[in-house]
Amino acid sequence: MNGFMKDYFRTNGLAMGWTLILLVGFWVVFLIILPQIAMLDFSFRPNLPPPEMGGPKDIHTLDNYKYLIYGAQGSESTYNIVDLSVFVRTLIAAVFVTIFDLVLCYPIAYYLGQSKGGGTLRVLVLLLIIPYWINEILRAFAFKIIFGDSGVINEVLMFFHLVDSPIDFIKMNVALYAGLGYAYILLMIFPMYNVIESLDRNQIEAARDMGASWAMIHRRIVIPFAKPGISSGCTMVFMLSAGALAAPQILGGPSSLWFTQRVYQWFNMNGNWTQGSAYAIVLLVTCIIIVLSVMKLFKVNMGDIGK
Amino acid sequence: MTNSPLIRFGIMAYLILFFSYLLGPLILMSITAFNSSSFPQVAPWEVFTFEWFSELFADEQIIEGLRNSFIIGFFTVILSVAMGMAGALVLTQIWPKLRSTYYTIIIAPILIPGVVLGISTLVFWQRVNSLFGLPDTSFLQDGIFLTVLGQSTFISSYCMLVFVARLQRYDTGLTEAALDLGATHVQAFKKIQLPFMMPAVGSASVLAFLASFENYNTTTFTFMDYPTLTIILSQKVRLGINPSVSALAFLIICLTVFFALVHEVRSRRAQLAEANGAPVGAVGGGFRAPKIFAGNPAAVVLALFVAAAVGTLLFAQVYDPTPAKKAFMEKKRIEQQKRIEAVKERMRLKKLRKSFKGPDIFAPKKEKSAFGNAFDPKNLNNSRPGTKPLKPGSKPVAPFGGAFNTKNLGDIGPDGKKAKPKSSTKPKSPFGGVFDPSNLGKVGGKTN
Repeated sequence: MNGFMKDYFRTNGLAMGWTLILLVGFWVVFLIILPQIAMLDFSFRPNLPPPEMGGPKDIHTLDNYKYLIYGAQGSESTYNIVDLSVFVRTLIAAVFVTIFDLVLCYPIAYYLGQSKGGGTLRVLVLLLIIPYWINEILRAFAFKIIFGDSGVINEVLMFFHLVDSPIDFIKMNVALYAGLGYAYILLMIFPMYNVIESLDRNQIEAARDMGASWAMIHRRIVIPFAKPGISSGCTMVFMLSAGALAAPQILGGPSSLWFTQRVYQWFNMNGNWTQGSAYAIVLLVTCIIIVLSVMKLFKVNMGDIGK
Repeated sequence: MTNSPLIRFGIMAYLILFFSYLLGPLILMSITAFNSSSFPQVAPWEVFTFEWFSELFADEQIIEGLRNSFIIGFFTVILSVAMGMAGALVLTQIWPKLRSTYYTIIIAPILIPGVVLGISTLVFWQRVNSLFGLPDTSFLQDGIFLTVLGQSTFISSYCMLVFVARLQRYDTGLTEAALDLGATHVQAFKKIQLPFMMPAVGSASVLAFLASFENYNTTTFTFMDYPTLTIILSQKVRLGINPSVSALAFLIICLTVFFALVHEVRSRRAQLAEANGAPVGAVGGGFRAPKIFAGNPAAVVLALFVAAAVGTLLFAQVYDPTPAKKAFMEKKRIEQQKRIEAVKERMRLKKLRKSFKGPDIFAPKKEKSAFGNAFDPKNLNNSRPGTKPLKPGSKPVAPFGGAFNTKNLGDIGPDGKKAKPKSSTKPKSPFGGVFDPSNLGKVGGKTN
């Protein structure tokens, strides 16, 4: 360690070396690690008014987590069915959105990755990126216009007399899933595209020459090769859609909450920060566990993420 | 790839479907910005208008949000580019055993939900604040300070990835050579390494600014008294939507397309220049400008785009939707009136049917004036100020007040030209006797 530090300062010099260390240190310690620890610590504390913080009542307790599982003390049901079902539904919906994006984007990524480049490819990539530059609120807003009661789809359906009264897409969560899937398309395509692009076309040619079917080529060659890209895309889409807040707030039906909305409610409406922190921790830990176990299942390294 | 036409057709169809899912919502949203309907919708189309743009620019909340977004974006760019670059430089030198741990830590903010980042930033600095016994109004609890830190946490990771990609191609021998020649470390960095990383600095800054500008999840917990544009938008969209948001979206889409095209033109030009072996500046510029267009379809599109934008702006200066809108309102009112009339007629017929069970229930055919008060002379005067060519006259001779006559719709077109005032066809009784219960008997008498 000592030798390493000596080496480090020899290559960077004192001024540069310290600048780098200070910048990275500030980022890692004060922005990444300490805030997470503070939140974790906070989630184990009771909700107290500011003057009582640090006082005798400010002890560590599991109450906030108990609340998520068992609900308020003295309530009728044994478990906190409302919040738990919101939690489970959020995770299932996030998985659903991830699969939807994967199925939708794989052919496109394959097509882009295997096409010979040139003008068309550039235009397609440009068209892919443009929607991603538009604010996520505005993208959700666009879906509200499309799926609303007097939205485009309902107007079209009614015009052709396919339905008599507008279909409530918002309540059915169709709008929400379409909007979420839409929001993360790019994050699914680019990791896959980057990997598939580096796949040697001769491999596919060889497989075809030896009589492999179209499905076989994908199953045995393309998908195993693209696995890092696929898992990277899936991880990002899953994490982001489970942690999405804007789209559920705008497109979510009145009866269906997203778990992040519960967190938001604890912070901004109920003023119970410690409870909100506990919920946030549960969300974070669960997502990490799911992602890590899926990565283990498919034998992918953390280092592949973000490529 | 297979050249079977079926597969090619399938690929094309899929591409079209995919890109209409990708771009369709944006296009539809842009269209709603020009519809005068106060709810953003494409159909039914009312009147083409620019009014939502003027409403947008008059909205002080949006202007304030824009200002906050720029302030926060500015600081976030500086902080995240600096931290991202430092992070990338350290990554290339760090002790190999620590490397994967370090990488996991600095890549984690991308994967941590933005909500969690916002909350942890808020909680941490609030605790630091109370640790030092500072009041609630200290800078540690300032919305801009918290938002910049919260956003920089993960935006730095994006920047780091950009720099890592660039640094992979850097030859450390260059720095060493500079050091051997007597440069200090700072000089070597400034004169050798930084210029090499400049393109990455540019793209990281753009990326960081965009990410900061559109961030919602983190900012929504940390903005305090400084709502950014995204926060304002989300509040507007949640409370009740109106097309001025569409107008803003349209402007953002135009800006995006514009910058994307500029970027495309520049990279094409660089490519062309490289292919010709000439420096970038030598291609295009001055008199040779038209030559850019030759090998550069993006430049043509860009030129058309700018022309269209200028044209639209000029058109917006002279275009006045008021007459068309008035006509539309009139038409809508009449239609509504007709609908009411139709309902009333139906109810009357029902009554008639009840009282006279004969084959002649369609008697009101002979009735002349079932048009209701839509053409009450008083109303006409109100809705027809001066010389405006809107003369919502019609042929009320039809039964059921013309409610079921589709031709009538065309007659009162918004251009007002077709609709000639036909004073002769004016109903004798303005109320058409529809509301007069005594008429029931009269009509019945006639038909009998």
